[in-house]
Amino acid sequence: MTAQETGTVSAGRGEPLVVLDGVQKHFGQLHALKDIELTVKRGEVVVVIGPSGSGKSTLCRTINRLETIDEGTITLDGKDLPQEGKALAALRAEVGMVFQSFNLFAHKTILENVTLGPIKVRGMGKAEAEKKARELLDRVGVGHQAEKYPAQLSGGQQQRVAIARALAMEPKVMLFDEPTSALDPEMIKEVLDVMVDLAQQGMTMVVVTHEMGFARTAADRVVFMADGAIVEENTPEEFFTNPRSDRAKDFLGKILKH
Amino acid sequence: MDAVFSNFDEYLKAFGLTIGLFVVSGIASLVLGTILAVLRVGPVSILNKAASLYVTLFRNTPLLMIFVFIFIAMPVLGYNFKVVENIEIAGYNVSAFFFRACLALTLYTSAFVCEAMRSGVNAVPLGQAEAGRAIGLTFSQSMTLVILPQATRAVIPPMTSVMIALAKNTSVAAAFGLAEATATMRGFTNDNADERIGIFLFFAIGYIVVVEVISLSSYLVERKVRVAR
Amino acid sequence: MRFIRTKAVIATVGLALSLAACGDAGDDGGDTTDVEVQENAGDEFDEGTAMKEFADSGEITIGVKYDQPGIGFKGATDDMPVGFDPEIGKILAASLGIAPEDITWKETISDNREPFLQEGEVDLVIASYSITDERRQVVGQAGPYYVTGQQLLVASDSDIESLDDVKGKEVCSVTGSTSLDNIKAEGAKPRGFDTYSECVDQVLSGTVDAMTTDGAILLGYAAEHPDELKVVVDPFSEERYGVGYSLDKPEMCQWIVDTLTKAEDDGDWAAAFEATLGQSGVDTPEPPAMDECPAA
Repeated sequence: MTAQETGTVSAGRGEPLVVLDGVQKHFGQLHALKDIELTVKRGEVVVVIGPSGSGKSTLCRTINRLETIDEGTITLDGKDLPQEGKALAALRAEVGMVFQSFNLFAHKTILENVTLGPIKVRGMGKAEAEKKARELLDRVGVGHQAEKYPAQLSGGQQQRVAIARALAMEPKVMLFDEPTSALDPEMIKEVLDVMVDLAQQGMTMVVVTHEMGFARTAADRVVFMADGAIVEENTPEEFFTNPRSDRAKDFLGKILKH
Repeated sequence: MDAVFSNFDEYLKAFGLTIGLFVVSGIASLVLGTILAVLRVGPVSILNKAASLYVTLFRNTPLLMIFVFIFIAMPVLGYNFKVVENIEIAGYNVSAFFFRACLALTLYTSAFVCEAMRSGVNAVPLGQAEAGRAIGLTFSQSMTLVILPQATRAVIPPMTSVMIALAKNTSVAAAFGLAEATATMRGFTNDNADERIGIFLFFAIGYIVVVEVISLSSYLVERKVRVAR
Repeated sequence: MRFIRTKAVIATVGLALSLAACGDAGDDGGDTTDVEVQENAGDEFDEGTAMKEFADSGEITIGVKYDQPGIGFKGATDDMPVGFDPEIGKILAASLGIAPEDITWKETISDNREPFLQEGEVDLVIASYSITDERRQVVGQAGPYYVTGQQLLVASDSDIESLDDVKGKEVCSVTGSTSLDNIKAEGAKPRGFDTYSECVDQVLSGTVDAMTTDGAILLGYAAEHPDELKVVVDPFSEERYGVGYSLDKPEMCQWIVDTLTKAEDDGDWAAAFEATLGQSGVDTPEPPAMDECPAA
């Protein structure tokens, strides 16, 4: 991404970009999201943490409607999320998503993975899409792997390609759903480095993660969830040094012991 | 065996018609069956139900009954498809009989193609579809660009079985006005009652060759798809 | 619709049978005659012959068609097939001292007539079974007891009048039959079906232009649908119906020829014809002369 593009992303820093208001979600008997109120401002990096089953992944997936919601509203850049069809597809193109299990298109090369969206969704020419894809792949450090298939790459490399694939759409916001949880420990850093880099360039990000180091370094705000509800929101320093709720104290006590 | 050798052009013509029935209804079934499979996994509830009803109806009805319906009941009701005889493709025009046989075979086979496709689609991890949607692909784009190409590989073995069954099912047309291999075999044995066993073997070999060609092509496609991954 | 009509046919046949049972004349080629059963027939034949065995056991199995009105027809609910072929069977059985109700009938279709004889599944085949040299290689054929020829059955309003008119037209018959080969040689598009009744349905629904097979069979169908169908064209082939038997029992030939010749002479043959094929309105023909039996 060029400096100019970075500037576009940062423009209007501080305005609300993603707003969740009174969001409720059930999986059968389970009340997965309880009255969620969350605003993510343009250029802000929000890290969502919490114990397993606290609803943080579900929260992340509702933002591009991979999960539907039962009640409440979600707006992106002032517009309600569409229900179905082309309008929804168009919205999703504005929201980049990185999955825990990478989900690269297994039958396409690394380059094709990154150019598919720009060509088919944005209608970009093939040559231009490939030029841009190669720049992005270079930027995440896998430019020399462009002709390979996903299965030929390590997990860390695949996840960096997944980030490049999402960035190729020039999204307004990037969602990361536990991006390092499926990685071997030695590969976690290479992915986090790319994410930190992205955060420093002003990308709006919602990151569900267990990486407290990343939260301390890159987050503007930490959201702590438990049992489907947001329990606490704070700056990283405040949250890690001085958690207010018992649930957060308990959680931090467990993960920071070692 | 004189009966077969002295009428070898008849023998070839008969298998030509068998292959013609197979190819036309095979392609039609693949197209229709794939559309049905997409409807079955798609987001529109009414289309789900319609496709599922179609599969229940045609997969559970004996092929012979579908032939009887198309060849004997439909003409009585006024649908004899004679209009197709006015259509000319590259100097040839299709007989209503050929069209009806292909229609019956396609209605039946597409139900099986649909189920084979669906099992292939289900074999593709859910994450692939989510990743497609996440970059803004529409349902049909994510189907054609992401899911179906990957489903193809898982689909080849069951689809081969469906196609082999189709190749052999074309023989039902023997009793409905088409001089394909089985009908011709019956003509040969009727004229040459003393050579029944030889004639039977010769026609059986013809079918074996057709089926082996299908298996071999499926093997080649499967290998090609594997290399491409 | 087809099913409704089939039911109607069955009902008609059933009615015909019940009328026939009262000794009244049927209207569907489904009438029967009384035959005179030979007494002490076993004494007539030499030890070790097939005829002696039949006569002593009182049992014989005869293969006939079940789907050719006038020739050999059996509705789904009927006990016994009716038609000219079963009548011939009854005459043959009677000479062995076997009463009509003691005959075991079995349906034979064109495809299985030789295998049935070879495997002993049936003792006789009397099923519009044309005598040909190829068939005589594998089974015995005594006769002919009836000579007919291939004709065309068309819709009443059809413009097919001569054999030349069938060029390029779709003509149906039974899959694999000689009639289909013959009509193909005349330039028609042959359309084979499993049964004659399905083929008739095609003519009735206008899906094919004509049906072709032996005139005797066509007359039976024309009689069933006098307003919709008619038989046209002079016979353009000669089909000589014979009685099929197994080559393992060559002695049967002379008995069949003798018995049928006698029936032709004493009027039983004519009575059988009039009760069956004659119902369609054709005159009773001269009975044909039989072929010599092959030297044993």
